[in-house]
Amino acid sequence: MSKTILIGSPNSGKSLLFNKLTGLNQKVANFPGITVSISSGTNLADHENLLMDFPGVYSLRTISAEEKVSVEAFYAGLNDPQVSSVICVVDTTRLEKGLIFALQVINACAEFGKPVVIAANMMDVLDSHAMDMDISGLSEALQVPVVGISAKSGTGLNQLQQLISQHRDLPTAFVSGIIASDDSVVHRQAQQLAQSYGPKGDLLINAQTKLDRFFLHSWFGGASFLVIMYMLFQSIFTWAAPAMDAVESSLQMAAAWLVPMLPSGGVSDFVSDALFGGIGAFLVFVPQIFVLTLVVGMLEDSGYLARAAVICHKPLRFFGLTGKSFIPMLSGVACAIPAIYAARTVDSPRKRWLTYLAIPLMPCSARLPVYSLLIAAFVPSSYAFGGLIGWQGLAMVGIYLFGIVCGLLVTAVVSRTNAAMQTDLPFVLEMPPYRLPSWRPLVRNAWNRSKHFVTKAGKVIFSVTVVIWVLGYFPNHGTALGESWLGQMGQFIEPLFAPFGLDWKYGVAILSSFLAREVFVGTLGTLFGIEGGEENIISLAEHIQNSGLPIGAGFALLVFFSIALQCVSTLAVLRRETNSWRLPAQLFVSYSIFAYSAAWVTFVVVQAIAA
Amino acid sequence: MTLWDLQQGATATVDSFGAALQGDYRIRLSELGFHPGEQIACVLSPNLGAPKLYRVNNTVYSLDDSVATLINLA
Repeated sequence: MSKTILIGSPNSGKSLLFNKLTGLNQKVANFPGITVSISSGTNLADHENLLMDFPGVYSLRTISAEEKVSVEAFYAGLNDPQVSSVICVVDTTRLEKGLIFALQVINACAEFGKPVVIAANMMDVLDSHAMDMDISGLSEALQVPVVGISAKSGTGLNQLQQLISQHRDLPTAFVSGIIASDDSVVHRQAQQLAQSYGPKGDLLINAQTKLDRFFLHSWFGGASFLVIMYMLFQSIFTWAAPAMDAVESSLQMAAAWLVPMLPSGGVSDFVSDALFGGIGAFLVFVPQIFVLTLVVGMLEDSGYLARAAVICHKPLRFFGLTGKSFIPMLSGVACAIPAIYAARTVDSPRKRWLTYLAIPLMPCSARLPVYSLLIAAFVPSSYAFGGLIGWQGLAMVGIYLFGIVCGLLVTAVVSRTNAAMQTDLPFVLEMPPYRLPSWRPLVRNAWNRSKHFVTKAGKVIFSVTVVIWVLGYFPNHGTALGESWLGQMGQFIEPLFAPFGLDWKYGVAILSSFLAREVFVGTLGTLFGIEGGEENIISLAEHIQNSGLPIGAGFALLVFFSIALQCVSTLAVLRRETNSWRLPAQLFVSYSIFAYSAAWVTFVVVQAIAA
Repeated sequence: MTLWDLQQGATATVDSFGAALQGDYRIRLSELGFHPGEQIACVLSPNLGAPKLYRVNNTVYSLDDSVATLINLA
């Protein structure tokens, strides 16, 4: 099988091209450095050809460990006899920068005798602004094929595919007469080529600057940032609410239809308590995860997130971080795992390490079911200020802010008390152009994320739910939960959670959630299902309200879940990224102690206020 | 005068890099367009010490004071 390398500068649209050519769904976003590992996929138009998408790099001369890995892999690829061609993607709207890198790639390909094709991407953007560039002139000057393409609309992809197949069938050594090894000569060549053959005029950059003057304005920029972030969190409730109601009603209807048809006893109780009570309680929250991923994706695709990074840079610097930490931290609001990968875009090793400390405290989507459940149980669903602000939405913003503040406090303290990896890199961030988000990939990404969440978390939740149900149902067949095996075990650990007003059922749910946070909801659903017998088909929030849990305990639970690092996958990815168990182990222990102490203080304070 | 001193809307030519800038990073800044002889425009200079936006050809970069003060202007 032949191989084709896709390489280009960050945010040149390389991954979108890879997705178009392979039909795969590699994450794309309008922010430099989203691709963090080499992906490969079979070419849709040529099943004997494997396309490899390399992380975007600004230069073949590296300044960070991550760039070094990518560039070494690129050179290894050039040495691979199976590699038949290299596609270098350049953004035509920022041609000079792309050409500096393209000239380096041409140089390397000539050295290794590999044919190279320049894919001049974003032709749709030029078309939409009635701009053009001289593709054939550039091709003649570079002495390599140049194809004008739009990875978004698909323009020019057939021609690109033909060139890929041509190089596979007739491998030819590549020779170029334009090669220069001196940096200043390469730069001058790129400048002259861009001026001679690139698009003319300042239309694009002027439009971008106008928007930047609003979104980065000292006052309007800060205000719009806060409004956008508030809308992000409010949308989790308002946009997802109809779908959540629909899922809940469907589950209730399915349970009301199915359970009476089953033989009474263990089977019926299992389906009712473990399946509908446990797994069903978790499924209700999946629409919120879909909405959250969709809205974060919209912000990424629009180009706004890079502006948000600029807005946040100065404040984040106070906490020992950088504006570049904002993107992984916001990704952490969806899930800590991609956030840890996204932290590779933080080029300073020290700031990246500090970003790792903050990410597990970001309010991830796995916390969302727990937060939603507790807020629904303890915060009224009414609106304030003439219906403008919902109390539940406000509570959600509050608990999200709490997690973020905790993360920032941790990095502020550690950055001032720990001198590890003091070598630093300055803040330079390319501003991507503003774009209207492309709905189809965004919806697909949100759907895949939700599906992945259900299938990944679902397996753990199902296993835990079955174990919890068996332990809670036997030996007395669900007649007295407190006397079941689980009840006896729970009462043994009850003193651990009693200081913040929780009985043994909540203690069992917390312990089970150390596998994954969302297991808490499923476990509680199962336990209340067993306890409630025939009356279990009511929402879990109502069960919590009816259980007489003190309000201080509810808030203590919220605080506990916003701090504790209850995610095996996060620990495993942290280990992989840092090549050591040291940091994951330190974070797990310290955040568990921090969570327990903060929950106890919360319980004492809230109960004192409530009294 | 350094790049950080450049007022919003003004244009100037890069002269040299400050001695404190690491060698690798000088090369990277040059590759991004901040090389001696190149014209740079400050397109946005927010208050409160936030990073400023600089245009190099058709690309805009945000630089904070830690690096913009190390780029000397002609």
